[in-house]
This record gives sequence, C-alpha cells and structure tokens, in this order.
Amino acid sequence: MSASLARGINVLKEVIDAPVASFFNSCVHCGICAESCLFYRETGDPKYTPIHKLEPLRRVYEQEYTLLGRIAKRLGLSQPVTEAELEEWQPLVYDSCTMCGRCTMVCPVGNDIAMMIRKLREGMSVAGYAPPDIRGAVKRTVEIGSPMGVKWSAVQAVIKHQEADLETKIPVDVEGVEYMVLLSSMEIMNYPEYLSALARIFRKAGITWTLSSEAFEATNAGIQIGTSDIARVIVSRIVNAAEKLKVKKVLSPECGHAYMAIRWEGPNLVGRPFNFEVVHVLELLDQLRRKGVLKMKSKFDTPVTVHDPCQIVRRGGVLEAPEPLVNTVASEVRLMTDHNKWNWCCGGGGGASAIHTEEAEALRTKAFMVKKRQIEETGVNTVVTFCANCRIVIEEAFDHYNMDTRLLGLTELLAEHLDDEDAAGEEAKS
Amino acid sequence: MSTIQNDSDFRAALAALTVPQQRLVAARFVENVGTLTNDSRVKAAIHAARRADISAPELEVVYSAAKTAAIESYTHCGQQGDWMSQAGHFVAEAAATSVTPEPKAVNLAWDVAMRARMARTCATIAEGQGTENREAEQQYRILADFLSNKG
Repeated sequence: MSASLARGINVLKEVIDAPVASFFNSCVHCGICAESCLFYRETGDPKYTPIHKLEPLRRVYEQEYTLLGRIAKRLGLSQPVTEAELEEWQPLVYDSCTMCGRCTMVCPVGNDIAMMIRKLREGMSVAGYAPPDIRGAVKRTVEIGSPMGVKWSAVQAVIKHQEADLETKIPVDVEGVEYMVLLSSMEIMNYPEYLSALARIFRKAGITWTLSSEAFEATNAGIQIGTSDIARVIVSRIVNAAEKLKVKKVLSPECGHAYMAIRWEGPNLVGRPFNFEVVHVLELLDQLRRKGVLKMKSKFDTPVTVHDPCQIVRRGGVLEAPEPLVNTVASEVRLMTDHNKWNWCCGGGGGASAIHTEEAEALRTKAFMVKKRQIEETGVNTVVTFCANCRIVIEEAFDHYNMDTRLLGLTELLAEHLDDEDAAGEEAKS
Repeated sequence: MSTIQNDSDFRAALAALTVPQQRLVAARFVENVGTLTNDSRVKAAIHAARRADISAPELEVVYSAAKTAAIESYTHCGQQGDWMSQAGHFVAEAAATSVTPEPKAVNLAWDVAMRARMARTCATIAEGQGTENREAEQQYRILADFLSNKG
C-alpha cells in the first residue's frame, strides 16, 4: 500500500462518525436514491446509484468498525480498498455527483448521502484521487485567494468599471458598516454587473456596506475537493476580515456552494460561532421586499421559469425567498413541476463543472436533459436563476441543445427594474 | 460637433437614438475593441451590425453565432482565469448584443458600450497596466462623430 493510499484510508477511518455508521446500518437497499440522481436517471447506468458511489467508504466502515467485518478482514476474506478502486471511483465521486442532495431528500431512512460523499472526498483527496482541475483550483485559492487566480488588483479594475456604470462609488475596507459583501470569482470575471446591481439595491435601501481587500472571495475550493484543512483556511480569511472591519453581517453572493461553506460549514470549520451574521443575498433581497423597499418601476413582461440552485435552496435552506422575489419583478412565473427544494440540479454543482475532461463534460451535458425537459414543459423561453455557476452550465447546455432560451440572474433583473431614481438623485445631490 | 464628456450625457445621447442607429454606433464601439479577439463569428457580427439594410433572418444567424462564441469563451468555475481570453469573451458579448434580434429587451448601445469597456478593462488587467483605460473617452468621441455625421 502506498503512503498516500494509507493516508487516504486513515482519513476515511477518521471521518466515519456515529451518523455515518448509522446511515450505513440503516440503508435498506431500496434504490430510491438512484431515481433521484440526475446522472442515474439520464444514463440508466447503475454505477451512478448514489449509495453505490459510497462503496469505498462503506467497505472501510465495515472492515474497521463492525465485528464481522474485522474478523473477515483478519481472515483475508474481504477486499481492501485499493489505488485502482479509488481511481475507478474518482468519476463517481466528483464528475457524477454534484452533492445536490436530492438523494438525501428522498432516502426513506433519512441517510444524508450528500454529506457522506463530502466525507468520502476527504479521503479521496488525501489519497491523491481528486481531479487535477479541482486540485489546481485549490492551489490557486490557497496561494492567490481565488480558485480562478483573480487578484485584488483585478477586482479593483472591475470595481472601477462598475462605478462608471452605476455612477457611484463602491466602498472598500470601510469599518463599522452593516454588510461585508463577498463575491465569487465567477461573478468578478463573467458577471461583473452583479456588483453594480447589488450596489444599486444597497443605495436604494440606504444600507451601509463594503468590500474587503483582504477577503473578497466567497467560494471555497476546500469544500469542493473535500479537504477540511483548506476549507478552514479559506473561511478563516473571511472571518478575520469581517472581524477586522467590525461588520454586523457578511453577505454571501448568488454562488451556491459559497453559502454552504460560509453559513453552514464555516463555524464548525473554525471551531467557534461567528460574531457576525451570515446572510445570503436572496435573504437580504426578500427582507427588503417585505419592507417595501424593492419597488419596481416596471416588470419583466415575458413569462419566466425559475431554476433553484441546489446548494442555496435545498441544501442551503433559502426556501422562501426565491419565488416571491421572482414574482416581484416578472409579470408571469411558470414554475417547473419539481421546483424549490425538489428541483433538479443543472449538473455542474459540487465542483463538477470545474472538471474539464471529455468524459465529464459529455456526462454533464447528458445529465442536463432532465432540466431541459423541465424547462420545455413550462413552455417559456426565459429562465431566472441565482447562482453564477448554474448560469454558465445552463447557458452552455442551451447552446449545445440549440434551445431558444435565455438565462437571467435574479439580482441583476431586480436591479434593472428597480425604481431607484430617487435614491440615485439623492446621492447625486449629497 | 457635439461634445460628450461624461457618462450621463453619453447615456442620454444613446437613448435618444433609434434602434437601427443604436446598432450602427454599437458596431463602432465593438470595432474599437475588435483587436482583442480573433473569432470570425464575432467579426461577422460586427460587420452585420454596421449594415443598415440587415434583415431580421440575417440578424438571427449572426446573433446566434456570436452568442455561441460568447458562451464558449466563459471562464469556467475553478478554471485558471486568463484575462486576455476574458477580454475576447466580452468583445463577443458586445458583438452579440449589438446584433440582438430583441433590441427592446436591452439598452442596446449602452450595454454594448459597457461590455466593450469591460473587454478593455480585462485587457489592461492582462497587460498589468492597472485599472486605467481610456475606452470611455474613445466611445464619447465615436458617438460624437456618429451624431455629427448622421444628419
């Protein structure tokens, strides 16, 4: 056994806790999780059954922590987990699992399969079986602060560009404000208008906010690859910056897994409660809607449907905000049959879209068929969503399938239709 | 010749143009950053936007091709960012917007101008020149020339 495999197996032993043990013992092999997985559903290949993807972890559990398994191991009657097996499992654990959690939702005995995949990734990563593309993203995050290598100087250039669009200053490193805003590198590079949309809404609401030059990146490649030590370093940067600036709240962007990382895993990773609140941008927008601040000067006059990003809605718990927000800005909303917490993943979450092998891309495109059918059933040609990663995955799929459908970001759509001339005018006077 | 010295005047002047006029001036904004891409689909879109007699079916075709060029040039989640490639992405987006068959859905010329500026911003990041670029001033001049020549 190589040293890296031994380290990986040791990590798998460490991550097996009481919930994991009870989940493996509770599984009744009903196969319902298979039908909930978009990769199984669209390929029909049983290897994509979610519980099967956990086989290396299950075997380590059985061989190390059950009486019969330990006896069998001692007598040489069970197969140890090998390098070849982990190599074979890499596409099952990374390419074909977006950790969307739909399998967890349907499991009749309540097994959190997505959480167990996350734990399996810990061992896979240490053993050296994380995909090279994700390893590269992690390296850049640790060294530069961004999985895409975005440096602060680049963010400054984007800020300047957006200030021209907005005709107002975007605050940086301001102490004592209400919100410290995080961005994803995807938003900085591909959707820079998200920042000016947010600035317009803050201006209208009269909320104080800032970006931090020390922690602008919200995404957490440590979570995607499955390495808690790296995830902790990334979360700590945000915590340190928020405490230094003495902000009351940290605003997580539209990015899906960023919210999961900072809101739900963050305090556990750093080992203490935060002294600030973590708010998802949709939660803030919905608060403003309920207060009557989000008044629209016009409505988007074409029927739309909504794609609910898994990590924000189903896994993140932002369940109530999306629908009323879309209704605020769209004249007609036709929801997909399976929506909100029952949505189907775009196919690119959990780091899957960062893997650019031919096989992974072909599988992702095939898995998108479920979303394609969902959209077509609504009869609309405009989809609204709120995750930068979902946006690119979906746009690429639209292009691949020649779908005459466009995709819009919710925050930008709200800002575009926001009745904020009074706020802009007030600022111009002051 | 009218003088445009800030974005408020620039935006107002663009908004006062008809859609065909916006398309013509938008093509010039894209052309000004056209050297940041080698994509033939983008060049075709710029050429099409400059034609006053472009038909709706022709627009559909060049828009679709330019849109594909924009989608193909996105920087993906977790991918090493290449700001010069990203400049090409924004040129493609600007070009696609300039020939969009649904001009009412966007503030056409302004949106194109902002994407062209973003392309230039990406190029300055790639070249390590900091945050300064004079694309806005060049666009003011392009619009002023256009306004003085249109009639």
